[in-house]
Amino acid sequence: MKPVRKLLGLLSAALLLTMLVPNAIAEVGPIIPKAIKGKQCVEDTSEMRRNHMDYLKKHRVEALRHGVRTKQYSLKECLECHVPAKGTETSAENGQFCKNCHVFVGVKLDCFDCHATQPEPLDAKAAKLHPFATPAMKALGRIDQPHSAIVMNRLATEKREAE
Amino acid sequence: MSESNQTDLTRRQFVGKGAAAAAAVTVAPGVLLYGAAEARNLDQPASSDVRWGMLIDTNKCDKGCNDCVTACQTENGWGGENSNEKNSSPEQKAQWIRKVELKDISTGHTQSLPVMCQHCENPPCVDVCPTTASMKRADGVVLVDRHLCIGCRFCMMACPYKARSFVHESLTDQKAHAPRGKGCVESCNLCVHKLDAGEGVTACSVSCTKGAITVGDLNDEKSEIAQQLKNHKTTQIRADLGLNTGVRYRGI
Repeated sequence: MKPVRKLLGLLSAALLLTMLVPNAIAEVGPIIPKAIKGKQCVEDTSEMRRNHMDYLKKHRVEALRHGVRTKQYSLKECLECHVPAKGTETSAENGQFCKNCHVFVGVKLDCFDCHATQPEPLDAKAAKLHPFATPAMKALGRIDQPHSAIVMNRLATEKREAE
Repeated sequence: MSESNQTDLTRRQFVGKGAAAAAAVTVAPGVLLYGAAEARNLDQPASSDVRWGMLIDTNKCDKGCNDCVTACQTENGWGGENSNEKNSSPEQKAQWIRKVELKDISTGHTQSLPVMCQHCENPPCVDVCPTTASMKRADGVVLVDRHLCIGCRFCMMACPYKARSFVHESLTDQKAHAPRGKGCVESCNLCVHKLDAGEGVTACSVSCTKGAITVGDLNDEKSEIAQQLKNHKTTQIRADLGLNTGVRYRGI
């Protein structure tokens, strides 16, 4: 009887350990907020974790010094997926994607001394691409609501009033 | 019954006329084409076939008007009322573009014009930079690579146009396309993000209601700027220095 009970005791202890260990690791590691857009990064996650700085550095030289404006490895695009846009509701408890890891491993992160910390809000992007965002429209301050239907309606009413 | 001339159009002629009609549409009032057709691909590096330049017609430039300066501020996120350089004195604050007034002492005649980085072909700021941070791109745009800038400010001393500023304090809320921060020198970048996107304009040129600022490719004979330079007398500021500036002035 005794060896069997001993074995059972060992087993339960092992079971307990397997249940506890992952939680313990999760508590120790950094919190990694989930990407807002997309399911797959530009390279495998393991590759990005180790070598993202090399991709970023190569891209920064090409983009700034040579004017190659591809999006794939641009820091701006990292933020598009990993950081909520300006003005959107965020939960502060999750922290910031880049910062969380860098604080955890104790590596200084000075990209954001100069670079924007959040992507531009969707509205601003739409206004930039919008066909009505001509200089004249900008001068008149009419691109605060970039939705085409709104702009069209407003233009139509103004025209009617003028007549 | 004579045959209509219209049926004589060959396919080639028809296509040609169609293209001409399309071109006419693009120059119709209210329709603005940002030269997108000439834009290079995003994965192509800037080429020395192009040289970006700017022509400022001082005859059209109004004395009290500051539109180009404020447009640059909003576009690139420096200065203005919302400046986050709170602790810098006015002469320390960043200034990418400024309005300058010229006065002829003998006649009292005054003129107003914007001055910014002149995007020299032989830039003194690039010559003196110890880290190659101050650089000229293949297409003639003079930039500061802030990744390499150590803030020594040699370039500020070398520039005959006083075009560069130094950022003295930590900044927040920068524009996504215009990173800038403490300890680096900066200046007009000819809205390089717009040029690279194929827009072919800068914030200041778009903002000028008098149309005093023209931006374009100096190497392209057909471009508006090249035509204007060909047909009118223009000046480089301090041409005696032989820097061959990319920014030219008319009427001074």
